Amino acid sequence: MPRREFDPGGGGAAPWVFLAPLIAFAAVFFVIPLGFSIWLSFTRWNPLGTPSWVGLRQFEYLFTRDGDFWRSILNTFVFAFGFVALGVPLSLGLAFVFSRARGKTLWRSVYYLPQLTNIVAIAYLWQFVLDDRYGAINRLLGMVGLAGPNWLSDPAMAMVSVVLVMIWYDAGKNMLVFSAALEGVDREIYDAAALDGASPLRTLTSVTLPIIRPAFIFVTITSFITGMGFFALILAMTGGGPRGATEVTALYTYQMAFESLRMGRASAGALILFAIIGVLSILQFRALRGRE
Amino acid sequence: MPNPARPLVAIGTALIALPALAQDGPLTVAMHYTQDQAAPLIACLDAYDADGVTASYQQISYGDYLQTVLTGRLAGQSPDIYNVYSIWAAQMVDNGVLAEPPEALAQFVRDGYGAATVDAATIDGTLWGVPSEVSVYMLVSNMALLREAGIETPPTTWDGLREAAAAVTARNDQGRIETAGFAFAESSSGAGVVHPFYALVFSQGGDVYSDDYTEAMLDTPEAQEALSRMAGLVEDDITDLSIDAYDFPAGGIGMMIMANWYESAIRDGFGDRFDEDVAVSQIPMGDDWRTLQYAFFMGVDSQSDRQEEAWVLVRHLNAPRDGGLSCMGEMLDGLGALTANAADLAAQEAPDAFTRPFVEALENDRAIGQPNVMQAAEIEGMMARTFETVIAGDAEPGPALQDLDTEVEDILFEFY
Repeated sequence: MPRREFDPGGGGAAPWVFLAPLIAFAAVFFVIPLGFSIWLSFTRWNPLGTPSWVGLRQFEYLFTRDGDFWRSILNTFVFAFGFVALGVPLSLGLAFVFSRARGKTLWRSVYYLPQLTNIVAIAYLWQFVLDDRYGAINRLLGMVGLAGPNWLSDPAMAMVSVVLVMIWYDAGKNMLVFSAALEGVDREIYDAAALDGASPLRTLTSVTLPIIRPAFIFVTITSFITGMGFFALILAMTGGGPRGATEVTALYTYQMAFESLRMGRASAGALILFAIIGVLSILQFRALRGRE
Repeated sequence: MPNPARPLVAIGTALIALPALAQDGPLTVAMHYTQDQAAPLIACLDAYDADGVTASYQQISYGDYLQTVLTGRLAGQSPDIYNVYSIWAAQMVDNGVLAEPPEALAQFVRDGYGAATVDAATIDGTLWGVPSEVSVYMLVSNMALLREAGIETPPTTWDGLREAAAAVTARNDQGRIETAGFAFAESSSGAGVVHPFYALVFSQGGDVYSDDYTEAMLDTPEAQEALSRMAGLVEDDITDLSIDAYDFPAGGIGMMIMANWYESAIRDGFGDRFDEDVAVSQIPMGDDWRTLQYAFFMGVDSQSDRQEEAWVLVRHLNAPRDGGLSCMGEMLDGLGALTANAADLAAQEAPDAFTRPFVEALENDRAIGQPNVMQAAEIEGMMARTFETVIAGDAEPGPALQDLDTEVEDILFEFY
């Protein structure tokens, strides 16, 4: 009797049996919720009652009549771009500095600590620090005769505050990715660059950054996606205020769903955000890859 | 040989039996009070046994209450008895969440509770439960700060409030307000600015909606006047939006328009100076002042298999015990919260100086019920944002209220 060879591409039920748990997991936690959300976006549904089909009216309302939705989209871009534009270079800088520092493991651990802390606790901690009247920062500024800004009650400063806290929270994670990439650079390349007389800046721009470009692409895109969809920190820290200045789209749709009980419209808003993030991520990925 | 189908059969049988088991379990009463706050009520529930029907307490935090109810109902796990904030009631009734009480219980409520509070539990002329906690807004003053500024009694007019607040307000060397004459409360729901606005509008004889809720009345002269008064305090540097009335217990705020439930926090903050330094007085809008009251009421879930037993329990919890306080009355009394239950009011000791003005506002029909309009939470969120924008000086009251009126009527049009 000939011995049967394993054929992963062959027929039979075995591959499906082994894949079944993964397929079931994906179906239950990704495909069905996404499909339900898409269907909901064409309905009007207060979860106390039953959904009624309204076609494209939720999208029409959001696109044509809901000024707050468009303002939340703008806030989302400001938050995400601020987070990426300041956070990614900071993470890279920290990784670069610590790769040459004594006790780098300790430093990396210290900067990673916020990631181990509950995001709501972080929000409350920074509320105390940034409080306009009683906060530590403005108290310290007051002691040297300076009037600190209204960190949380001025609309522009509130956005700055949540971006900075988000960077503080997330910098350690991205720093670790950059650190791993930097550790992977062959020392001999640096030696060769030094022999060729390359300055430290030239070494950084012509050697280090091109080599760690995959890590840079990964961090930039994942940070952008995180920034576009993140709202837990903002919910706990400002609640979207003052006067909607920090209300990002994810928070707006959350409040629409669970406070205003408009599940259909919230689903439509979430799908629009999903589409924006998807398109921009693809464009970003292509642009960054294309420059390799 | 073991039968492989046996575990599946056992699980199936258990699932089928679950609803039957649930029917034999205790009636569930879901409220937002913590276990400590609800201790007297929980004692009543623990002791309850009506022909084998028992009861248990379920705490749901206030912020998560409606969401928990929604998800619980979707999962078929709703409690039997709710403690409903009146502004949620219209939606719950519209979607068939609440059961109608029996006529005898409705009569018990109509006979034994203040009219405005009964209205809070009434939607389209139908009563949907038994009122429990009532909250009323009044002017709360830090008399130590007012006396320091040469003012011996709380103001009774808006001009008086402006003068007193201006006298109290002090800035530090950096120009930041150190002591505020007046403050609005910051709250995620927007109640900190919306509820005082209601009080000012009601005091001027205005209203926020037409009687049938088909129209918003936010572009009326009364509404513009009310918002202009609030914005004027910031415009004239008497206060600003970085000052939070919830910091009143710390002692740096002269006056605020606040509900009675904040008493315990103020008491904690002022300590021994509370009786001497904290005064509660009328909304400072002259002799015709009015204010806002809102209420919670106990309702029964329409999906409950034991509605009749649940209503019996609701009545038991709200009926006087041997001439003394009801179970709910005992709990609310311990919290320093108000009730509109006449029997409990008669059985309570005379209210303290802080609480008395709130009670009198209820007794004298000065306190007008918060409108039970559909999408109330959404509408009040929109109001709060508009009011804060105007108060901050980023918009004029007239055009801002005109826009708000249109947006609110868009929502009303969906439902009325």
